[in-house]
Amino acid sequence: MAEKGPLKMSAKELISGLVSAKDVEVLIGRIAMEEEWEPLGPTPFPQISTLRSWDHLLLSRYKPFYAPFCDYCCLCTYGKCDLSKGRLGACGLDMKAQTARIVLIACCIGASTHLAHARHMVDHLIEKYGEDYPINLGQDIAIEMPHARLITGIKPKTLGDLAYLLNYCEKEVTQCLSAAHTGQEGNYIDFESKALHVSMIDHLAMEIADVAQIVTFNFPKGDPNAPLTWIGLGVLDLSKPVVLCIGHNVSAGVEVIDYLEKAGLGGPGETVEVAGLCCTAHDIVRYRDQAKIIGPISDQLRIIRSGAADVIMTDEQCIRTNVVYEAQRVKTPVVAVSDKASYGLPDVSELPVEKIVEMLVSGSTPGVFLPDLEKAGAVVAITAIRMAPLRQKFKIIPDPPQIQAQASGCTFCGTCRRNCPIDLPIDQAVFNAKKGDFELLSMLHDLCLGCARCEQVCPRKIPALSLIEAAFQHKIKTEKYRIRVGRGPILDTEIREVGSPIVLGEIPGVVAYVGCANFPNGAREVGIMAREFARRGYIVTLSGCSAMVASYVRNEEGKTIYEEFPGTFDRGGVVNVGSCVANAHITGAAIKIANIFAKRPLRANYEEIADYILNRVGAVGVAWGAYSQKAASIATGCNRLGIPVIVGPQGSKYRRMYLGRAEDKESFTVYDARTGERVWIGPAPEHLIIALETMEECMVWTAKLCIRPNDTTKGRMIKLTHYVDLYKRIYGKLPPDLHYFVRTEADIPITFKEEIMRYLKEVGWKPWEKPSIDPTLLKRLIRAQV
Amino acid sequence: MAMTVKPWQWGNVPGHEMATPVKGDVVAKLVKAAKRPLLIVGGASLKEKLGGKLLIDFAAELAKAGIPTVATAHVYKALKDRGVEPAAIMTVADVTNRLQDPNWSVDGKGPHDLVIYMGVSYQLQSQMLSTLKHFATHLRTLSLDRYFHPNATYSLPNLKEDEWEQVLNNVIALLKS
Repeated sequence: MAEKGPLKMSAKELISGLVSAKDVEVLIGRIAMEEEWEPLGPTPFPQISTLRSWDHLLLSRYKPFYAPFCDYCCLCTYGKCDLSKGRLGACGLDMKAQTARIVLIACCIGASTHLAHARHMVDHLIEKYGEDYPINLGQDIAIEMPHARLITGIKPKTLGDLAYLLNYCEKEVTQCLSAAHTGQEGNYIDFESKALHVSMIDHLAMEIADVAQIVTFNFPKGDPNAPLTWIGLGVLDLSKPVVLCIGHNVSAGVEVIDYLEKAGLGGPGETVEVAGLCCTAHDIVRYRDQAKIIGPISDQLRIIRSGAADVIMTDEQCIRTNVVYEAQRVKTPVVAVSDKASYGLPDVSELPVEKIVEMLVSGSTPGVFLPDLEKAGAVVAITAIRMAPLRQKFKIIPDPPQIQAQASGCTFCGTCRRNCPIDLPIDQAVFNAKKGDFELLSMLHDLCLGCARCEQVCPRKIPALSLIEAAFQHKIKTEKYRIRVGRGPILDTEIREVGSPIVLGEIPGVVAYVGCANFPNGAREVGIMAREFARRGYIVTLSGCSAMVASYVRNEEGKTIYEEFPGTFDRGGVVNVGSCVANAHITGAAIKIANIFAKRPLRANYEEIADYILNRVGAVGVAWGAYSQKAASIATGCNRLGIPVIVGPQGSKYRRMYLGRAEDKESFTVYDARTGERVWIGPAPEHLIIALETMEECMVWTAKLCIRPNDTTKGRMIKLTHYVDLYKRIYGKLPPDLHYFVRTEADIPITFKEEIMRYLKEVGWKPWEKPSIDPTLLKRLIRAQV
Repeated sequence: MAMTVKPWQWGNVPGHEMATPVKGDVVAKLVKAAKRPLLIVGGASLKEKLGGKLLIDFAAELAKAGIPTVATAHVYKALKDRGVEPAAIMTVADVTNRLQDPNWSVDGKGPHDLVIYMGVSYQLQSQMLSTLKHFATHLRTLSLDRYFHPNATYSLPNLKEDEWEQVLNNVIALLKS
């Protein structure tokens, strides 16, 4: 968007320092002079209820399913109100509405977190590079920000435009959050509509954050051949000073690297190791691939207690909130740079670098709050160098011979297990260790989420997490894997290549493994599933902690998925887009398919594009270890765009799913846009978000949820081949719902043809009268009325 | 561990109304008295061991005693190997969702009156029981897992392995008698 200031204007004429124009529209101190790159669609800058009718359409098929966590509402001073078994609260709210309200609040938290991240990032980058810094993602990406174009109608050109878009996002989040106040919204469907709205905003905010950092920090711009780098607990050269960055906002990590390079200390790893945990790790390796990724959030306490870090720099999100205490135990100073997470530390912004370093090295303070990022970069680098010889990697994880002694107090009371989020047999493992058997402790390493709740509740104060780590220490050095650096967006050229086979079904689907590390049976399941679907020719995309742990499973030749498969967005490609804000590129790819391949108008045309994706783009998100409110809003944002999501069993604690009922034929009817007739299209996709129990079940459902009404016969046959093959492998029989998906005999996979025909005959299947239609939920898209 | 009726997961305290702990013959009588029971068998039944057997072995015996059974997760094959043809293969969310509908039954033979969960992982099962507690007041629910589920109508208390085995054997014996 072309927009300049300062401004001087009259009713008919406007003059600024750089532009002059007539008959302009003034928007909150800015002048919108969007070039006519495409006719403006029906819903520019949608407000809280603009897309409500779309939400109601979705939710009439995919009805909210609630699993409350608690019988009470305790948000106001009337409370606690018992809402169980149909009771109403003092304000009149029932349990469905209250649960939807909690979901809305979670989505608002998630969206606002990415949004605040984006705001910090953009403001910082404007200060550093100026608001006219161009949004340029290279010649292969003309549609630079599909969410921005789709939602707002704006084609951003500069960092200043991104700041403008953030104003809109902030307004919408505020509107949605206000609906959760006592005495406002009272209907569960409308709470859900607001959750969908704010989650759509979340994807725009993520896109803004990631594009801003890509263009300014020169991250890979959709490069399928982005370099491979290292990940794992064993990647660090501990003979060097180590900087550990924790969080999601890489602005400060970049400053550390810049300082090292400017000071003649070389890039990451030359004289100082620069490593990261969680998404900031993805982004420091996008900046310099010599930096290292330790791993997901679940490795946080492990690596802090290992004493490897000589200084810890925290930015924002997914940080252990007692990081200062834990770091202090191993004499590691903390530099907190985000005002959203300052941990009670003294603000040292006004002090000179030397003085701050002296405070940290002398231990006069366990850490500092230093929001001046440039200064923080210098402080962190110098402190690491000075602390390393003093600390000598002081750690609190015991050496293996000490394990038995520390476990000796265990009475096998079971309290640890009864507080473990995933019910691990910690009690048995520690009790075995007391008797000298460390095998179970060591095995728990790969399953444990690293939260240390077990330690908090142990009546004998046994440090169970540290014991698990100690028992695993002999294997730590082998914990080194190769991962491809996050490549960012999908190229327009790639979309042109795969748009047709995806929409027609010949590429059986796009599967996105995203989200956090609350995995039900350890991290390995993500890697196993990702490899399975890449080998089957699906396009596999990954982000965040899931992109990390997917590298932990090697193939028969010892290769990780990033070494085994190409990084292209194509059949059998494995695409790491990057940190969690890079999730916007996965949903952005679906949007681009509708626009680039199908030529659907993009500008401010949300409903039509979402309708297209729901009916035609066989994409599925899998957040197998989702834990955070951010994951809730990411998933819900996918849902509004017509993309189904699977979460792991812990995801049931989000309290809400959107479930279809396959046998409810009316709910799975659409308009045939060619004729206006209502046509049953089968349960495709059957659900919008569902929590599943096991990896095996997840694989079957991943294949099934890729089926779309628009599949050609060849495409449907290919998709059914994978669904049937997986189903037979896991259940030993044909899927009992095949008759919902076989439209004509041509849809039937050749490999299973006889068997399927026998089954179809048994259930009385008949070829569909209208196997091929132009499906839409939107009446306005009907071209000819019947 | 001593027997207790506190929720197995300490944080899983939903409200003041929690499940009635049941044990011994009472469980068997509850199941026997049900006119349209439904057994839901989950993925953890393939891992949980008791008395030298897997939980799925006990689930199969219950199913053979004539309780219509839904196989969730990927337990179908294991039930089939034990001579049981479940009435349906469904996700635990799908079957729980349908059970909110007072007219729904897995076999079309009339609504269920007692829903029995076995081998669905603790946290997921707790959420499913919560759904039915709040939105399916026409149903009673029973957890036959080893640990107390406060969101059920009836639940076994937290049990030692041998106690759990004894309860399950009692139920099976009574149903087969």
